[in-house]
Amino acid sequence: MTVNRFMSTGVRRRSVLGGMAAVGAAAAMPRRIRAQETITLRWWSPQSSPEQLAAYETQMRNFEAQHENVQVVFERTSDEGYAPQLAAAFASGDVPNIVTHLPSFAVSNYWSAGLLEPFNDVIEMVGPENYYEGANQIYEIDPGVYAGTGIGNSAANMLWLRSDLMEQAGIDAAPRTWDQLRDAVGRMQGGGIFGAPLPYGRNSMTSLIFIGVIHQAGGQVFSPDLQVAIDSDETRNALEFYRSMREYCPPGATNYSWGESLTAFVSGATATGIYTGRVLINVANQNPGIADYIDCALYPTVSEDVPAWTFNDFPSVFIPRQASNMDVTKQFAAFLFDPEGYIQQLHAAPGHVLPVLWTISENPEYLDNPIIERYTPQVDLMAAAAAEGYNLGWESQGHQPNVKAGEIINSNAISEMVQRVVLNDENVDQVLSDTSSRLEEIMGS
Amino acid sequence: MATAAHAGHRLERRYARLGVFLIAPTIVVFSLVIVYPLLAAIYLSFFSVYTPTLEGEFTGADNYIRLLTDSAFWNSLITTLIWTVGTLSLQIVFGVGMALLLHQNLWFRSLARSLVLFPYFVSTVVAVLVWRWLFNDLYGAINHGLMQLGIMDTPLDWLGTMPNAMIGIILVGAWKYFPFVVIAVLARLQTIPEHLYEAAKIDGAGPIARFFDVTLPQLRSVLVVIILLRAIWDFKEFDLIYLLTGGGPVTSTQTLSLLVYQEAFALNEMGQAAAYSIGMMLVMLVFMLVYIRRTAREA
Repeated sequence: MTVNRFMSTGVRRRSVLGGMAAVGAAAAMPRRIRAQETITLRWWSPQSSPEQLAAYETQMRNFEAQHENVQVVFERTSDEGYAPQLAAAFASGDVPNIVTHLPSFAVSNYWSAGLLEPFNDVIEMVGPENYYEGANQIYEIDPGVYAGTGIGNSAANMLWLRSDLMEQAGIDAAPRTWDQLRDAVGRMQGGGIFGAPLPYGRNSMTSLIFIGVIHQAGGQVFSPDLQVAIDSDETRNALEFYRSMREYCPPGATNYSWGESLTAFVSGATATGIYTGRVLINVANQNPGIADYIDCALYPTVSEDVPAWTFNDFPSVFIPRQASNMDVTKQFAAFLFDPEGYIQQLHAAPGHVLPVLWTISENPEYLDNPIIERYTPQVDLMAAAAAEGYNLGWESQGHQPNVKAGEIINSNAISEMVQRVVLNDENVDQVLSDTSSRLEEIMGS
Repeated sequence: MATAAHAGHRLERRYARLGVFLIAPTIVVFSLVIVYPLLAAIYLSFFSVYTPTLEGEFTGADNYIRLLTDSAFWNSLITTLIWTVGTLSLQIVFGVGMALLLHQNLWFRSLARSLVLFPYFVSTVVAVLVWRWLFNDLYGAINHGLMQLGIMDTPLDWLGTMPNAMIGIILVGAWKYFPFVVIAVLARLQTIPEHLYEAAKIDGAGPIARFFDVTLPQLRSVLVVIILLRAIWDFKEFDLIYLLTGGGPVTSTQTLSLLVYQEAFALNEMGQAAAYSIGMMLVMLVFMLVYIRRTAREA
């Protein structure tokens, strides 16, 4: 015969069941309440190398530690994929709370469609006095209202060089003009090493790099009042230069985008490179044998009379207007600039994303990094170049913000122009005429 | 007698009501996942719609006029047809050939039959990454192997120039999807009566004659269905081509699916994209009608 041990202690079964139910309800209720109060913030970024993800993890956990009931989750996007993903997100209303590292022209595009939350509150929390002077000018599309802010600066079209190969080729200085560049890459090419990894693919890198080449020829894509100005002698020169560089690039450069171009230089397959400061950490991690021989310079121009033109993505932070929990989202956006996490984020790829806060640039903790210490002149050069940089959303100080820049890049109109001339050898006048028409059509849409 | 007939009618009506009741869930799901999106696409195609906000204005037939007058749709249609015919032909040739091989008494036949399905099961993203690596100009095994064999002096640009890019996607498409043909043909091969081959042998038919006079006629019905189904699927292929070439160089491998995607998400012109997709659907309707007629005749 089995004896009920509860009964044996004198406790009635009904009481035990009642007690268990009460305990269960008590245990479940706080969880339910907590579940109702838990706020989840979604953070999107196309920058997601392992080191960057580790930095984001620190920032998210630190913020969660300060904000009970807040959970931050990171979701990757990509340079080529963010436009469709965000379009779908905006259309469905299922938007992330915060988006970082997209180019500034994407921000202006979404702002012009009324899709973003004004960022003035966040900038106030970060402290406007901590930014470099004019750092937020590109985000002031409507007077007095900011569409976002910069999370960093970038100098995307730096010319990367191998001093050992230059020495072997008898080249004593970084090329300043296109002629000097062609001469240098011609002399360094050989023995399985190509001269340069310029992109010729149908993608954003080709478009963005070639916009830089047009400016390095002294031209522009749009006039300051945003009339299409690409059909010019300067663009013809730029196309001719780009065509002449083809023989110094690997055969597969016809399909190169950011990743392939970076890898070509870092792996030692090309004598020069064109990229941001991410080269530094990638060389340190993937090909340390050339780490003592890498250097960077401003990308050459058609002549010494034409100043260098640096492409700055102006990596951004913005908040979709439809985002939930706006107050805590803004607090998190400002928290991204908290020195501990922000410096770790910048150190994830030193020189790749450069600080927008002068207080960080001068922070000893930021400077205390082996890559930054080792390549101080290069990092300083990139910082200076980025500070004077532009992109298609803002081609010069005199230009109006171009809110259609993102759609122009995404349309591949400019990379297709390059491919038609360089790969298909089509008539330049016809190609420029067609490209102008496409740009006008996009601007008018 | 009249009472019995009346009862019969009543029973029929009850069965009919039961039939409607049983099929209703299917009709509802079908309406939600097919009819609604189709009607929404037709509706959107008469508007100029900005994708992120889905707001826009009525433009009448403008999107269709652009479809008919602009070269983008027609160029992409031609590209789509070249891709579809090219990859489908190779799928059929490889698929039938492999099925015939696997129908023989080979060692490890079961293992071989399992392995041959691998390309079909592997994710397209993974397959494309592997093929992009194989095609890579600097580190790719294909270029390396061809140069080692002395067939080429310099690496070949497989995906960045024409016609290599089109040949490249056709080859990868054939590799990815030929196992479907193998499965279907192999199943049919196993049901062909052996006495047909024996009779052909007695009549003096060799292996080639037996293939064309016995095997191929027996495979005809299944091949027609395979060709129609695969033609429909290849015609609307997106991910493999997008990931391999992105539609380039220029627009040489930009099929209709990629054109719709670019219009909807790169240019944020959802209305025009909807018009293109309706045009694409009308072309596919031809394949579907042939398929429906064919299956109806077989039934």
